[in-house]
Amino acid sequence: MSQNNQEPTIEQKNEISRRGFLAVAGSAVGALVLSQVIDDSAKAAHASGHGGGGEHKWGMAIDINKCIGCNYCTYACQAINDLPVDMQYNDVTLETTENGEEYYLSRPCMHCENPPCVHVCPVGATYVRDDGIVTMDYDLCIGCRYCEVACPYEARVFNWREHVTPNQFTPEFGTPEVDRRPRGVMEKCTFCEHRIDAGLERGLVPGVDTSATPACVVACPTGARIFGDLNDPESPISQELSTCKVPIRLREDLSTSPKVYYFPPRPQPQIVEES
Amino acid sequence: MENLIHIPKMRLRSYRFDPFPYWIVLLIFGLIFGAAGAYQVLRYGLQVTGLSDAVPWGLWIVIDISSIALGGSAFVFGVIVYLLNFKRFEVVGRLAVLLGFLGYSTAGLVLLFDLGQPLRFWHPVVFWQPHSLLWEITMCVVLYLNVLIAELVPIILEHPFFDKNALTERYNWAQKLSDWLKLLAHFLHKIGPALAVLGLTLSLLHQASLGATYGVLSGRGLWFSPSAPVLFVLSAMGGGTALLFILSVFVFRVMRPGLVSDDVLYDVAIVAGGVLLLCTYIRLWEWAVTNYYSFDQMVSIQKNLLNLVSPYNLTFWIGQVLFGTVSGGMLLAAKRIKKFRYLIVAALLPVACVIVLRWNYNFAGLIASITYDPFTPTVKLHSYIPTWQEIAVGTGVISYWLLGFSLAARFLPFRSLVAHHDD
Repeated sequence: MSQNNQEPTIEQKNEISRRGFLAVAGSAVGALVLSQVIDDSAKAAHASGHGGGGEHKWGMAIDINKCIGCNYCTYACQAINDLPVDMQYNDVTLETTENGEEYYLSRPCMHCENPPCVHVCPVGATYVRDDGIVTMDYDLCIGCRYCEVACPYEARVFNWREHVTPNQFTPEFGTPEVDRRPRGVMEKCTFCEHRIDAGLERGLVPGVDTSATPACVVACPTGARIFGDLNDPESPISQELSTCKVPIRLREDLSTSPKVYYFPPRPQPQIVEES
Repeated sequence: MENLIHIPKMRLRSYRFDPFPYWIVLLIFGLIFGAAGAYQVLRYGLQVTGLSDAVPWGLWIVIDISSIALGGSAFVFGVIVYLLNFKRFEVVGRLAVLLGFLGYSTAGLVLLFDLGQPLRFWHPVVFWQPHSLLWEITMCVVLYLNVLIAELVPIILEHPFFDKNALTERYNWAQKLSDWLKLLAHFLHKIGPALAVLGLTLSLLHQASLGATYGVLSGRGLWFSPSAPVLFVLSAMGGGTALLFILSVFVFRVMRPGLVSDDVLYDVAIVAGGVLLLCTYIRLWEWAVTNYYSFDQMVSIQKNLLNLVSPYNLTFWIGQVLFGTVSGGMLLAAKRIKKFRYLIVAALLPVACVIVLRWNYNFAGLIASITYDPFTPTVKLHSYIPTWQEIAVGTGVISYWLLGFSLAARFLPFRSLVAHHDD
């Protein structure tokens, strides 16, 4: 290592710093272009992915006072959506009020207006339709299960195994109306979007005509579930919601704005306590 | 200037032998075990794992985020060598690039098995959803893996094999290919600063986003935290550099004596120690914020339940605070302690801290989850036990990491190009 090799000449120094600058500038420009592309596609996704604002806005109301915990909603859902026994889009649980009174809480997907699952999906496999339904593109889903982790309502179920057994709920609760999904994708309640779409084409009114209404609503023996268009003030759901003083929604604190409303349990009659 | 690679010998009574072949055979067994698990997973799907709808992310995700964190030294030293222009770290930086590549490729490999639809792994690259942190992480990791490959190629190509081998001596085309590869290596070395800037950008983005992956989920109180991204970046820098220090001592001080001076190794330890102390300091504030300043009853119930089933608090106070402070302080005082034996022990702790932090982060919010019922919400406890298939795949990818590192440590020259040019 000779001494005169240690110090680069001024030209060499300039050359090095110019190269360094070009490299830095080049990557900065690259980053700028990339951020622009991301921004544009974010706008596009915002326009298409953030549905709602369409003609209809489908919603559901569940009257906790009428629910008897029979699970027919769950079984009808499993029959129509062709689900195995251990996969449920709908879930009925026994819960208690602050006073310790027990009641049944039946829970479909909340079809949030601000759905955490849609925000986190890395491929846009889950999205909000124009009518507010949060649904899935099963061909896009990679099965990363981030939506399942993000959903505060445990509404999402993963397809852990190939579903090859015959449907256990057919024909008692209905016959399958959709294709079976492949192993390894996330699934969810779609408000029976296939029924709504086909019904509207035939001029039916979802929520009124049974063949255009989600299977769980039709199956409920006590009429605890009401379905319909939240945009239409004449729809049964809008009417019911206007008569109920304080409909509640689950986990309001998270600002997910569910489109599933609950009529809270009324306090039980005094006679019970007196006797 | 030819570097001689000193091969450490093992001593068993009076018999001295080279453990390398036995070690490689052991790793190959690890790979075979991994292949058996991988076959089961690909053939029968994720039903062979211990994962469930309640705990959908398990051991593999912990390996994934830990190996990405432990590859964090690559961008730190890319910046130190190429942007801050501390050329004395050049050789250590080249080892950091190797660790980065191994960490990220390990993560990619294990993620492939974690997907329900492994053949659709490319979907995020084509079907963009830029709102998703996981999309951003995937894109960054894919791009950064390319940056790491571009940085790694010159390191591999400087192996004497590519200069002169049986093929180049016999065939003209092989000689031409060898010359072309040398040009490629030279070019990739020249664009080092650009790669360093790109690596820094991509790394900061996705290391932070890995924390945010958990931090943005408002539905799970234990995770929901704005400091998660900062913690993930700092712990990756600290833990990654600590791992680099340990392996540098082995690769340079033991196997290539004279290539890197001890002072440079001490400086690596000091970088690790400094970042580690900063990380521990922020971790303590985050603890105060979640437990004291913004007391949330649900979070406190979650923590109590986690403490019932695991040493959750203990891993924080001992695993992250005590170990972090002690080993951070020791590494920071590397030049006074001087003894590499102690420093290596001190550097092992932050590596463990990083893994514990990732493990706790991943499982805390899943194992104790908040129910959605409107009047009396509670915390539910779930359980998860990895199956042998998960452990097999985990063993397989860790064997891959070790195999890559062992072969590189044994055969690659890791020469300094600055010194090389001066010859």
